Amino acid sequence: MNSMAIELLAPRYAIAWYPWAVQYFFLIALSYATLWLAAPALVFGKEKWLPTARLALLACLTTTLVAPVALLADLHQPLRFWHFYAFSTSSSWMSIGSLVLPLYVVGVLVLSWLAWRPALQANRQAPGLAGLVARLLSLGSSPTPRALLVLVGLGTLLLSTGIMLYTGAELAVVKARPLWNTVWLPPMLVATGFITAAGLLLVLNRVSGMRDTATNGQMLKVLLGACVVAGLVAGSWFLDGINANVGSVAAALDSVRESPSWRSTALWGGLTGVALFGAVLYLLTRPAARRPALFAWAWVLGLVAIHMGWMFRWVVLMDVQHVARNSAGFHHYGIPAGSSGLLGIVGTFGLWLAAVLLIDLLIPWRQARQGGSAVDISPAQPDARSAAATTEGAPSHG
Amino acid sequence: MDHIRRSLLGQLARLSAGAALMPLSSVASAGINSQPPRREGDPTKRYGMLIDLRQCIGCQACTVSCHIENDAPLGKFRTTVSQYEVEHQETGELATFMLPRLCNHCENPPCIPVCPVQATYQQQDGIVVVDSDRCVGCAYCVNACPYDARFINDKTQTADKCTFCAHRLEAGLLPACVESCVGGARIIGDMRDPESQISRMIAEHRDELMVLQPEKNTLPQVFYLGMDERFTTRPLAEPVALEVLDPQGKEMGYEFHGH
Repeated sequence: MNSMAIELLAPRYAIAWYPWAVQYFFLIALSYATLWLAAPALVFGKEKWLPTARLALLACLTTTLVAPVALLADLHQPLRFWHFYAFSTSSSWMSIGSLVLPLYVVGVLVLSWLAWRPALQANRQAPGLAGLVARLLSLGSSPTPRALLVLVGLGTLLLSTGIMLYTGAELAVVKARPLWNTVWLPPMLVATGFITAAGLLLVLNRVSGMRDTATNGQMLKVLLGACVVAGLVAGSWFLDGINANVGSVAAALDSVRESPSWRSTALWGGLTGVALFGAVLYLLTRPAARRPALFAWAWVLGLVAIHMGWMFRWVVLMDVQHVARNSAGFHHYGIPAGSSGLLGIVGTFGLWLAAVLLIDLLIPWRQARQGGSAVDISPAQPDARSAAATTEGAPSHG
Repeated sequence: MDHIRRSLLGQLARLSAGAALMPLSSVASAGINSQPPRREGDPTKRYGMLIDLRQCIGCQACTVSCHIENDAPLGKFRTTVSQYEVEHQETGELATFMLPRLCNHCENPPCIPVCPVQATYQQQDGIVVVDSDRCVGCAYCVNACPYDARFINDKTQTADKCTFCAHRLEAGLLPACVESCVGGARIIGDMRDPESQISRMIAEHRDELMVLQPEKNTLPQVFYLGMDERFTTRPLAEPVALEVLDPQGKEMGYEFHGH
């Protein structure tokens, strides 16, 4: 081009999806990934994974309940949500998602209820509200068939793949946003979902007082695996793009070239990812004797992993909307303070925290198990504090 | 952008201007991300617009009249005219380039299959409209349109866009932008009627017509005459003023700013 152009007048195109969308994609990814982390013990009967499964189920149920709230809030006409069912549209991934999502939510609810039922039955005599809830929710004293739990678990796992597929495809089909329009985006969302979920369980393992060393080890391994997958996906996306010289990689390179804020985002994301991977690898390769002491600090990596997962979704969903499609420069976006901005972000996390606290208060989630009846719950089940105290070599941090 | 890619895009632009005139009814079959069937409107017509850029002086009369006719919220536009100052790098010669933008009422509109409730649909006369009573305001279509032709109307909280002023066409009137264009640059009409002005102009200038972003395969039905192919995709340009500031250095408030 042997001429220079200046755009004299351009309207500002506002973003169409608000931070609510980030919250939904973040929570729903946590939901399906934690479901898969609960599955080894709850569905496939691996006893060693039971403590992990208990934490994972708590995380799964709470995120599953809060995610649709954020999704609903991102609609400009939330009260018209029933239109999704009255005018269902087979051509739209969003419409397909609106059919899968409620089934998935019901699946998670039923699975959690089945896994918690023996403990609820054992808790019927508890004083106060917890006992009342246990009496109301346990629905009789019949044993919970293991096979039923496995069946519901398998069904919900299947539905969760539908969630993974639709949330990814919904973005990947949008040709108008070249950065989304790549087959590598859906697997990247899943991989970062597992990074975030493993991170969340590391943090929950610490703050719940469970401090289970086996859980820390398992989650660090999941984190390592998910980091490797995410790295491979990102690498394939990049190589694919620079060889073909079209589409999403070209758009990403343009953005990084033209915008200092994209440059710093790319740098920060890359460095954090590599640092996280390095730290996890370091922890996992320490001699067995030193691991419990080191693993006690794994929750810090958990926080970094959560940050990675959230930031990835923020960049994909929010920052990509600032890339101008027809006008010069980048659209400016400041996060507004109101419900379509900061209040929405904080509110979603607050709602999630409230859900966690309510369940912690009323449901004996620490005794979740793969079916059975109340007698299987040992009355001498050590509570969190004494369990932590018996864990040798794990110093208390805080 | 390098010359080869540019000229390739230019050729694509011309090619699809021709291809777009063929009916694309074969696309209308069920399946994810395929076009749902068209409904309502006159099946004997196919509306399109030809914009003769040689006649456009960038006065924004179309922008203003559209805004008033369709009661759009401040700061959001169904149509607007992008204005560029272009400087020849060797001679230093200056020129201005005007580019009216609006919904392209594509033959293969990417905004329609994504709508989860079929609130936005294409009429049989080719006009893409939104049923604001059905729209849930998910804004998926706003993201799916490569032309930034859609926005969420802050007053109705639903998707909004150019309708070729379908309500005026029905009453036998011209769209507000066409009516108010001082240079007569915008020509709207039925492309199935060989005697219409637009059909005659398309026949006459077929090889010169271009559309925006032809590589997106949307088959736009707004054709530009006198177009510089470097502007068919996002132009390589520097922005001048993205924000209008008041004397205190604060951004001038839009009507619904801060929503």
